[in-house]
Amino acid sequence: MNTLPFNKYTLIIMTDDKQVVLERILQVTRYRGFLIDGITASVNNANNIATIELLVSSDRPITLLIDQINKLVDIKSVKVDNKTSQLSNKKECSA
Amino acid sequence: MTDSKPLTGGGLLFNVLEQHGVHHIFGYPGGAIMPIYDALYDSNVKHFLCRHEQGAAFSAVGYARASGKIGVCMATSGPGATNLITGLADALADSIPLIAITGQVPTAAMGSDAFQETDIFGLSLACTKHSFQVHHVDELEDVLHQAFEIALEGRQGPVLVDIPKDVQMATVVQNFKSAAPLKNKVKLPLADITKALDLLTHAKQPILYVGGGVGMANAIDEVRTFAKTTGIPSVSTLKGLGALDNTNANYIGMLGMHGTKAANLAVHDCDLLIAVGARFDDRVTGKLDQFAPDAKVIHFDIDTAEINKRRKTDAPILGDLKANLPLLTMPLNIEVWQTKVQEMKANCAWRYDHPGESIFAPAVLKEVSDLMPKNTCVTTDVGQHQMWAAQHMTFDDPCNFLTSGSMGTMGFGLPAAIGAQISRPHDTVIAVSGDGSIMMNVQELATIKRYQIPVKIVLIDNAKLGMVRQWQDLFFDGRLSETDLADNPDFCMLARAFDIKAKQITKKNEVTAAINEMLDHNGPYLLQVKIDACENVWPLVPPNSANNEMMESA
Repeated sequence: MNTLPFNKYTLIIMTDDKQVVLERILQVTRYRGFLIDGITASVNNANNIATIELLVSSDRPITLLIDQINKLVDIKSVKVDNKTSQLSNKKECSA
Repeated sequence: MTDSKPLTGGGLLFNVLEQHGVHHIFGYPGGAIMPIYDALYDSNVKHFLCRHEQGAAFSAVGYARASGKIGVCMATSGPGATNLITGLADALADSIPLIAITGQVPTAAMGSDAFQETDIFGLSLACTKHSFQVHHVDELEDVLHQAFEIALEGRQGPVLVDIPKDVQMATVVQNFKSAAPLKNKVKLPLADITKALDLLTHAKQPILYVGGGVGMANAIDEVRTFAKTTGIPSVSTLKGLGALDNTNANYIGMLGMHGTKAANLAVHDCDLLIAVGARFDDRVTGKLDQFAPDAKVIHFDIDTAEINKRRKTDAPILGDLKANLPLLTMPLNIEVWQTKVQEMKANCAWRYDHPGESIFAPAVLKEVSDLMPKNTCVTTDVGQHQMWAAQHMTFDDPCNFLTSGSMGTMGFGLPAAIGAQISRPHDTVIAVSGDGSIMMNVQELATIKRYQIPVKIVLIDNAKLGMVRQWQDLFFDGRLSETDLADNPDFCMLARAFDIKAKQITKKNEVTAAINEMLDHNGPYLLQVKIDACENVWPLVPPNSANNEMMESA
């Protein structure tokens, strides 16, 4: 039984608007042990860069997910939006 | 391509492969990839017809691992493509550079549940480093160049390119541009060695923990120089075997679940662990929170995501190992620790004085290792024979020991040996297999026959799924469930059906002559070594145990 607290995070992901990039992000997120609580996405057609706001929760440190999403070829940046992330375990707040 | 025919997408594929120095590919034709196979007819690229797409994928993996080049495989849509998946997953898990080309139904038919249509692009997401689907022939050249760049940059891996049939047939003009550099690469910080240097100079009992990343970073010389200059006792992962100098007195062998007792005890006692191209895999660490419990960690890696993934790192050093490791190479004053480790090593030496007439597999593999020519490439399948090969054979380069490390894929060894032999025609290639594993890709004996590939197969035969049987005996109260293979085929007869010379041995006194006969034979050869079905692999770290709690007998 998992007794660790689930922390909620909001990730802001900037990515090239390429084939299946959203699917890739969702697949990595699920595989690495994060639940998806919400998502919004939009594309800037002038520069073909998409901004994805991803709400996730997990008992795992968010840095593990950030590093894995960052490795995807089309990703430009991944940041935690600290204003909206709710951390029940402050020790994992460093990300 | 002859000048009289216009260039098609299929022809362009081979032009780009040749541009990247690809001379050999492995594959299997089918409906949705026929235009590519038609273009192959005019190409200088040599294609090896395997007898199952999984065989093609593993031959490409073996080719890549034995040669340090990229491996290329191809298959048709639907079942052809899905049959590649295990090979792609294996390549991703072991960081092997691979290009997989799949045919796809024509773009107009995509999404209509057409004959032999499967969403291989979607399926590829979890088993490739990256993948592409080409929707217009004008994209193809750039996509192919990108595929090579992605497969080879940073931590290497497999890339799939899915090409619909109409794109393969469309005419195109090649522009001969190479790919633009990848613009979104993870930016690695400049290596800051200050903390690592402090840890290194204050350590009294350091251990060098070497993984598969060393060979892939082409940093074998740097690691050996580091080990020799510092005098730090060293251990290797399964995939790192061959990277360290076996004659170094402070090298104490493989660590982990079936590692040497000395390696596991020394790692347990160390106060500093220098991980080099290794990733704290569960088969290495045993119970993670009791792995090297008193050690600080310096972690060299090319992959940011490996830092702190399973073990907190005190001093991460990201980037090119070849450039970074020399920054820490210096003599150290650790004689007391060296003496202690060397005593552990001497006390835990392997023994081959096995009683009775029956053949002792570790002794056979030790003897194969002693008798095989220099620069022999050994592949394995997965199971007991794999661990015995890792324990009792000696390798001087990781490209001479090809084993499915992370994925643990039965069926790897035979096709990987075929790929290895094609990449290195002048070296001896030996596939060490088991009677369970060999049946997983046994159809590749036909590939050996077709191209007269002189692979030597050492088949360790206990008529069991031996590793699972061992675990059932030790951890499931001896309830032997579906692990008996007493009804195996006659392996020698099977080999002979493919024009492969074969011999069975059952007694110890037959071993030396049989190994010599196999090695002296010019063509392919299968040596079936019958062993006692009750033999176990020792030592063994039981599940959920610390590495210092190794079992040495039942």
